[in-house]
Amino acid sequence: MKIIVIDDSMTTRRIIKNTLNQLGFEDIVEAENGLDALTKMDGIQLILTDWNMPEMDGLTFVKTVKSSVAYKNIPIIMITTEAGKDDIIEAIKSGVSNYIVKPFTKAILEEKVKAIISN
Amino acid sequence: MNVEYINPFIASTINALSVMAAVNPVLGKPYLREDNTIRSDISGSIGIAGEVVGSVALNFPESLAMKITGNMLDDVVNEVNDYVRDTVGEIANMVAGGAKKTLLEKGFHLQIALPIVISGHNLNTMYPRDFPCVVVPFTIDGENFFLEIALDFPAK
Repeated sequence: MKIIVIDDSMTTRRIIKNTLNQLGFEDIVEAENGLDALTKMDGIQLILTDWNMPEMDGLTFVKTVKSSVAYKNIPIIMITTEAGKDDIIEAIKSGVSNYIVKPFTKAILEEKVKAIISN
Repeated sequence: MNVEYINPFIASTINALSVMAAVNPVLGKPYLREDNTIRSDISGSIGIAGEVVGSVALNFPESLAMKITGNMLDDVVNEVNDYVRDTVGEIANMVAGGAKKTLLEKGFHLQIALPIVISGHNLNTMYPRDFPCVVVPFTIDGENFFLEIALDFPAK
């Protein structure tokens, strides 16, 4: 499975990548923001994205992906500091499959990824 | 500044560092900053706008910032590299984000900016003269770091 990890924090990208590696996923692409990610979508089967990023934020990226015929069925997990109830509702309405609030444990990340994969 | 507005940032700092870096920050006694004696090596700050205006900063000595980064990456970090600077910014981001949620529940709507990180030696942060700045000292394994909250809250 080819996965893209989108976050402007290189530390967070590495934490997520390490966790995915431990789950057995090796084909992982990194992007620093939504705009960067749109150039790396070829073959992607799962998206993990931050919300607050420069250039193109995560919510705009999600809406762009969901309006694309080619990418609209790719599941998306949003990992963000935006923890308000309205924020979560907005993200889900925009097409996010699952939501993780930062700070997060590796166990939570594993749980959410496994849930997406099993579906 | 009302202690009710400070506590969300304190709780968020402890939560972010304990969850992400498996460290146990011990809270010291907060005080109103009156001079420029605080020095740090790496400072991560977040601008805040909306009903609440100002900034929040986390100021670390480089040894502690390297330890936190190493814990988060499951790796040994021996120098202040891009990962260390990025980590300080991301922790500041999580602190502001966590506090934002709590303050929203208290009726304050605010937006947080992307983090800014500055590294060097013996850095001194400055704030506008009329802006109250609360300093919250913490200790991790005998090393001090400081949370600085310089915010203007509207009367409610």
